[in-house]
Amino acid sequence: MRRAFLNIVFLFLPSIIWGQQSDNTWSSRGITIRSVEVSGKRPMKEIGTSTTTFDSLTLKENIALSMADVLTYSTPIFVKNHGRATLSTVAFRGTSASHTQVSWNGMKINNPMLGSTDFSMIPSYFIDDASLLHGTSSVGETGGGLGGAVRLATTPASANGFGLQYTQGIGSFKTFDEFLRLTYGNKNWQVSTRAVYSSSPNEYKYRNRDKKENIYDENMNIVSQYYPIERNRSGSYKDLHILQEVYYNTGRGDRLGLNAWYINSNRELAMLTTDYGDDTKFDNRSREQTFRGVLSWDHLRSDWKVSAKAGYIHTQMAYDYKRDIGNGIMAHMTRSRSRVNTIYGQVDGEYYIGNKWLFTANLSLHQHFVTSRDKNIIRQDGGKAIVGYRKGRVELSGAVSAKWRPVERLGISLVMREEMYGKEWTPIIPALFVEGVLSPIGNLTAKASVSRNFRFPSLNDLYFLPGGNPDLRKESGWSYDAGLSFAVGRKGVYALSGSATWFDSYIKDWIIWLPTVKGFFSPRNVKDVHAYGVELQAKLDVALTRELALALNGTFSWTPSINQGTPMSAADRSVGKQLPYIPLYSSAITGRLSWRKWAFLYKWCYYSERYTMSSNDTTLTGKLPTYFMNNISLEKSFSFSWADLSLQGTINNLFNEEYLSVLSRPMPGINFEIFVSITPKWGRHK
Amino acid sequence: MKRLTRGLFLIVPLLLVGCMEWDYGLEEDFDTSASPEGLFVCNEGNFQYGNATLSYYDPAACRVENEVFYRANAMKLGDVAQSMTIRDSLGWVCVNNSHVVFAINLNSFREVGRITNLTSPRYIHFISDDKAYITQLWDNRIFIVNPQRFEITGYIECPGMTMENGSTEQMVQLGKYLYVNCWSYQNRILKIDTTTDAIVDELTVGIQPTSLVLDCNNKLRTITDGGYEDSPYGHEAPALYRIDPVEFKIEKQFNLAFGDTPSELQLNGTGDMLYWLNDDVWAMPIDAERLPLRPFLPYNGTLYYGLTVNPHNGEVYVADAIDYVQQGKIYRYSPQGELLDDFYVGIIPGAFCWKQN
Repeated sequence: MRRAFLNIVFLFLPSIIWGQQSDNTWSSRGITIRSVEVSGKRPMKEIGTSTTTFDSLTLKENIALSMADVLTYSTPIFVKNHGRATLSTVAFRGTSASHTQVSWNGMKINNPMLGSTDFSMIPSYFIDDASLLHGTSSVGETGGGLGGAVRLATTPASANGFGLQYTQGIGSFKTFDEFLRLTYGNKNWQVSTRAVYSSSPNEYKYRNRDKKENIYDENMNIVSQYYPIERNRSGSYKDLHILQEVYYNTGRGDRLGLNAWYINSNRELAMLTTDYGDDTKFDNRSREQTFRGVLSWDHLRSDWKVSAKAGYIHTQMAYDYKRDIGNGIMAHMTRSRSRVNTIYGQVDGEYYIGNKWLFTANLSLHQHFVTSRDKNIIRQDGGKAIVGYRKGRVELSGAVSAKWRPVERLGISLVMREEMYGKEWTPIIPALFVEGVLSPIGNLTAKASVSRNFRFPSLNDLYFLPGGNPDLRKESGWSYDAGLSFAVGRKGVYALSGSATWFDSYIKDWIIWLPTVKGFFSPRNVKDVHAYGVELQAKLDVALTRELALALNGTFSWTPSINQGTPMSAADRSVGKQLPYIPLYSSAITGRLSWRKWAFLYKWCYYSERYTMSSNDTTLTGKLPTYFMNNISLEKSFSFSWADLSLQGTINNLFNEEYLSVLSRPMPGINFEIFVSITPKWGRHK
Repeated sequence: MKRLTRGLFLIVPLLLVGCMEWDYGLEEDFDTSASPEGLFVCNEGNFQYGNATLSYYDPAACRVENEVFYRANAMKLGDVAQSMTIRDSLGWVCVNNSHVVFAINLNSFREVGRITNLTSPRYIHFISDDKAYITQLWDNRIFIVNPQRFEITGYIECPGMTMENGSTEQMVQLGKYLYVNCWSYQNRILKIDTTTDAIVDELTVGIQPTSLVLDCNNKLRTITDGGYEDSPYGHEAPALYRIDPVEFKIEKQFNLAFGDTPSELQLNGTGDMLYWLNDDVWAMPIDAERLPLRPFLPYNGTLYYGLTVNPHNGEVYVADAIDYVQQGKIYRYSPQGELLDDFYVGIIPGAFCWKQN
């Protein structure tokens, strides 16, 4: 606790020090730094909301990052990482993975079977615009975000003529990352094709302290034991992503867009540290093919806007667990298949009356068709059968809002949303946002919001065989936010901004999968949870000299997430305790120092201890201590008459920490990767 | 530049602060040889989290020691501790999803060896000093092992099942024949000749027999769970069966109510009283001709997960897994159903094993 506090204080100290300095000499330098934006007035659409927006540099600072990595180092979100290039889910404001809604170009991409999103499957290279909508702020975008929402989008490339960028990354553990982007653009058209291919046997070494190797004598007596240095066994991956975008801008206020994203992933599921199986005798693998496509039309006028979107998602997932039965033939122990088809449609409208009123409305529809085939069995009569389910569900969500800015310094926004999943409707979901500028000096702004929210059970929660529970109730909650923000700066010299937000959420009927006496798991509404806390964010951009710029971004969150349910039995010691796997404290800082064509990046994150038990007991076998992670990278750009080149070297886990995010899932030690990037200047030679 | 230097001076040392705090390699010495009897509790832990543990309870002293495997060996037991069996001075712990069976010294809890590369070990049964069978889930074979050499020596292929729906569970032996219940998506009891390692017969019972015991009259007893709703394998009322192992025929079937979830069929030390879980804890003499009307211990609002009876004095131990993500609790009752003691163990206590000195 004490160490965490010290880290937090020192994390923000530099920002505070710089924030207090208003050196006139800076203004005289007349230099341009990366991003110096001091907003005098927030857009009306964002009245009272708590939003974290990622700039393009954050998203592209390391081309090989997944969105899981970006969220880890740039937000207060806890990313529960099962290993390198494996399942990564998030806990937003002390909630679970399925309480974070994720959209891509407006279309919801949470897996309807699971309710959650695997952020390790989203390369940041494919995302041009990303933002977090914290807690109540998500209601304006979508329902079900009891923790919040992550909004991901692509944007037109702004190309003029043909363009090409190719990047090759080579890293530790035989990791190869390749990135290609082709662009074409003119006054009306913007076309972009992006491709990513990442592969690695992923066999990083680590000292396995969860097991020991035995040395026997000839009578099979143990004469010695030691902790083995093991490889990350069965953790290889091959991921291919292709993104095609076409935009047509009429130049008269209409824009048409097509986004199509194809994923082909083949990943082994790494063995636990406590696995004594021979990895050459077992094959534990998941494969996924997903296509996501969105067609969009935006029609903009001076005081109103309408847009329409139509989309489609097709996902095929295969999970195979096989073992060698002794003759070299790998026999299936589990052969699970699932298929999801989703049809999506959405219309949005905005209408301004003067500069004091904004009315918005949106209506979205997602129709899911799911087939899950989990197990092949032999029936009692000797025939074959498949254990699984086949279901469809329509999800309708609509919202209207009125935003009012009666005076320059005050804004009020009211959102009313309603959702229907299947045949079940939510009550009206209200959200009220208020913000006011307390002082124009420093743009000191106060904001507050309150909302109700609901999350429906996922299709697996309801129908999975065995265990699905069609009697589940939807989770519901009330959330309250209040905060202060400020922004100061001098154009072209420095910009300092920060915010502090307090939040408070009550979630009823939290769904948890529990074992049954029949040997399978089944979901139940078991917990009432009170999640509350504080989020702090600070950002500093400063030009130190004409050629030297520093950018710092820091976050800190304190997120008690307390079980307030009824004890499950007299012996239950979980009531009043922090939920497992949700850290009480987390923090991250990113610092970027740019000098001429050099850039140095330092990333640091901290997570306090995570409990693995609902009773918050810390046992020898259930301990996930605090960890700190440090990554650095150095980049140098070259500009030739025929091309731009850049070289980047990164070091991850700089101090070679032994750490875990999840029990029995080892994380890699220090590792390296270098990237070479080339952007030819076709037809633009000088 | 000064400001920059000052800033970096503040930041950099703090970024270097902190490493995960691990305590490794501390092996604790135990000696339980003085206690007349002891109870081992296999705590499954959470599937895929590798946090299974072993607890040891001394009934005479009413004292429990948790995580004894880790504390004695400075390494984890593994992922899903399914069962423990004692043979002479060694305890054999089947750790299902770690593909391993550990052999430990019963008094010091120190490992003496391990059998690895199993598919999904459930139970071990000793045929002789140098031969044992290990049943599996997700495998249609029973593994034959040499426990002295800690090695797999052969397999018994089970008919009517594939790797995917393979399931063999508890074993009891009468003479040269061994009987094993097939549980997950199965409905059979297999009969194996231990001299030839061949399956010589099979008997169909109800859907999913969960457990198997041999009473003092040398009758097999099994209880089915009846499957589950919408299962393509079927869903029926569970039942308790009495089986003649020689004729290999069902002698008596006691039907439970449709939707009941019985499990954990156990015998007392003299083999004349049956116990099982079905929300409540139930008890029935082996010569009873109908099911009891009232439970031995009524349901108290929690889902019992494990059950055992002290073979020495008939005391009944019931495991409450609570919410399955905290340390479970064991309740110790007298043969008359009076609460004598309770204690916390590890996550999801599911199986017990008695040590008699």
